This record gives sequence, structure tokens and C-alpha cells, in this order.
Amino acid sequence: MRPLALATAMMHRYRVPDHAPRPRPDSPAPARVGHGLTAERQSSLYRRLAARDEQALVELIDLATPWLLGVAQGMLSDQDEAEEVVQEAFTIVWNRIDLLDEQAGGLLPWLLRITRNRAIDRLRARRRQRQKAQRLEAYGALGESWTAPREPDESAQPGWHVHEMVHSALKQLPEEQLAPVRLAYFEGYTQSEIAERLGIPLGTVKTRLRLGFDKLRAALAPIKDWVL
Amino acid sequence: MNPHDWFVEHRVAFVVRNLEAAEEKSFQQHLPVCAECREETTRLARELAWLPMGAEPATPRPGFKRQLIERALHGRRRRWQWMVPALAAAGVLLALAVVAQERGRAGRLLAEKTSLQNQLDAIRDTLVIIRNANRVLQADIRMDGHDGGITIFADERTHRWNVVVHGLPAAQSNQVYQFWFITAGGMVRGAQLHLDETRPAFLTMGMPAEGGAVMGAALTLEPMDRPSSQPQGKQLAHLML
Repeated sequence: MRPLALATAMMHRYRVPDHAPRPRPDSPAPARVGHGLTAERQSSLYRRLAARDEQALVELIDLATPWLLGVAQGMLSDQDEAEEVVQEAFTIVWNRIDLLDEQAGGLLPWLLRITRNRAIDRLRARRRQRQKAQRLEAYGALGESWTAPREPDESAQPGWHVHEMVHSALKQLPEEQLAPVRLAYFEGYTQSEIAERLGIPLGTVKTRLRLGFDKLRAALAPIKDWVL
Repeated sequence: MNPHDWFVEHRVAFVVRNLEAAEEKSFQQHLPVCAECREETTRLARELAWLPMGAEPATPRPGFKRQLIERALHGRRRRWQWMVPALAAAGVLLALAVVAQERGRAGRLLAEKTSLQNQLDAIRDTLVIIRNANRVLQADIRMDGHDGGITIFADERTHRWNVVVHGLPAAQSNQVYQFWFITAGGMVRGAQLHLDETRPAFLTMGMPAEGGAVMGAALTLEPMDRPSSQPQGKQLAHLML
């Protein structure tokens, strides 16, 4: 069985293991929550994109745009730039689907990675750290809204179950690890910048990040082979 | 702590791109030579592949998805769309270049045609004179071991002569062949001839306006530096009507 089909089949059979964070009680079961993410559709999307099927791209855009936009806006805090980054990601997927490395994940993780990397590149290239520092002043309020779970109607969003699992995994981190992880992963700061922002030694930042990501890896292990 | 421990310690940071630019570059340079780090970073990337989904989804503004679709799909077409006018412009330039080249070629051909036409006209004229000549005067000329001659076809109806000189060597650098009309009033300078032994020289001329009636012709070899209204050099031929 091809990795793609195997992974999508696994997704269908998926049940939340005991050690993994459980979805919120009011969210649909994992096998159903991916509205529109049937195994057939997922496996066919990649094939159709590879075959230059424009409708497949339309479907992928419908599915992935909110997530990509969320990643890009969270990092760039600039809607126009975030849209540009998402545009670039889809253009790459459409024109260079052959670059997809299934060993590093599936289609949607690839899109997410492209988007995040592009956003990081922009952050670094445009030296937005000063603006970030200003936003950091209001970090507490932003952080609170960032961690707040969405209302149940949001679960209609394809992929919402994945979001909830990741969200639950993040919530399980102690605050001293969650803060640097947020800054590092979702806002694009480097380790030394995080040390400066949080006013803690660089070594401490490294340790907390390592511990935090180790926990996240363990928490996300059940879904690491999901492929879209 | 050996040097490799640093890479082991920073694998996650590399995967999630938390390293400083210099550190990231160092790690990238390390990967091609370290299979263990390559495998581990691939594994870490896969384990954290869905982590970006922790970000809250953002509702796209109205029209953004349509924009995404159009730009992704038509990006390549746009290049073609950009190329179409470029190709059209290139085509126009090429056409202009061809036209210019053709114009140049046409100009050259026209000049060549004009030249050929002139030559043909001259030949026709010569033939007409020769054919219509009322008189033909001829003299042999022996000069410096060369046997040549001069022939005059006189068309008295049109008052034109056709003079043919052949077999004579080229004049020395300080000399020139000079044709003379012998008129009632004396010798009248005609045309200078630049002869080539290999081919005859043809000369068509009208009668001189001065000197009165033309009675004959002469060919001399005159010094170049002493032009005169009267022959001074060696006489090669003397013909009377």
C-alpha cells in the first residue's frame, strides 16, 4: 500500500490514544470531523494536483486557506503580507507539486511548512522585530485570545480536529515552556530574541524550547503520519 | 562535548527554524555530511508536521480564495499573456528588420538594375551607332610590341561616333591616351582614354561644339603633367573622314 493511501486509511481508523490529548467533548469524532476530508478525496487530491487538475487546486484552497492564513497572520501580524505568503505557497504547490517530500509529511503539512518558512523569511528579511517588540507589550492579552478555544461551530472547518489536538497539546505545556514555544514557532522569533523578549538566559530558553517541543512531539505522535 | 553534540542539541531548533541565521547556515552545511542528523531532522519534521495547525484559522476576506485560484492557475498563463505581446513585438521588430533588410536589398537590386540598365543602354547605343554608322574608320596601332588599333563608327544622322580602341597597353603613370577631333578650325581635345590591354575600350561621343566641321580624328599619348589644347605627345593614329 502506498504511503499516502496507508496514511489516509490510518486517518479513517484513527482513535485518540490514551496518552494523546482528547478532542473537546463537543467536537465531532475524529473520523467524521474532517468535513470533506474523506480518504478518497485526500488520496485523489495529490494525484489530481500532480495531473494538473485545476479543480483539485480549488478544493485544496477551500480546505487549507484558513489554516495557512492563520499561520501567516499569526507570524506576520499583517494581513496583506499574510495573503502574499499564502499566495506564494499555493503557487508553489500548483507549479512544483513534484517537490512534495512525503517522508516529511503530506500535502497539507507541506503547505503549512512552506507558508511558515515564507513567513519566517519575511520576518527576518524585513526586520520586523521592532514592531514585534511593540506587540510584545500587549502579549498577555494576545496570548489569552490565542489560547482561547473556538466555539463549536468552528468545527465545521475541515481540519478542525487537527487544530484541536494541537491546541490541546499546547495547552498541556507549562506556561514557562508554552511562552517560548509560541514565540518561537508561531511568531518566528529566534532563540536569542526570545531570551531578550522574555528576559531569561539563552540557555534557559533553549532548555525550555527543547522540553516543550519534546512534549509536543510526543503529543502529536498519533497524527504524525496523517497525510493529506 | 564534541562538535557534533551541538548539532544533536539543536536539531529541533533547526527544524522549527529558531536558530540564528549563522547557526542555521552552519546546520545546513552540516546536513549533507551527516546521515544521522538528516534522518533525525526528517523524523522531527514529520513529528511536528501538524504543529502549525495550532494557530487559529483565519477567515479569508471576501474574494481572497478567488484571487488565490486565479493567481495560482493563471500565473503561468500570465507569463504567456506577457509573452504574447512580447512575441508580437518581437515579430513586429523582426518584420521591420526584414522589411529594412529587404528595403536595403531592394535598394541594392535597384541600383544594380539601374547599373545594368545603363550598361544595356550603352551597349544598345553602341550597337545602334555601329549599325547605323555611315562611315567606319580604322587604323592599326603598333606600340611597344603590342598590336592594337582604333575603329571609329560615325553615325552622321545623329552626329555621334563610337570609338573602339583595343590591344594597347595601359599608359605609364605620367602619360594618358588622348583622343582628338580634327576640325576645320584645328585640333579639338576629346576624351581621355584609360586603356587596358585585356579588353577593348568603347567610347561614344557627340561632335565638338567648337572648331567647326569635323574632318577626322587622332589618338596621341600625352604627358600627364603638361595638358595642352594642342597635341604635344606621340601620335598613335590619325584618321580622316
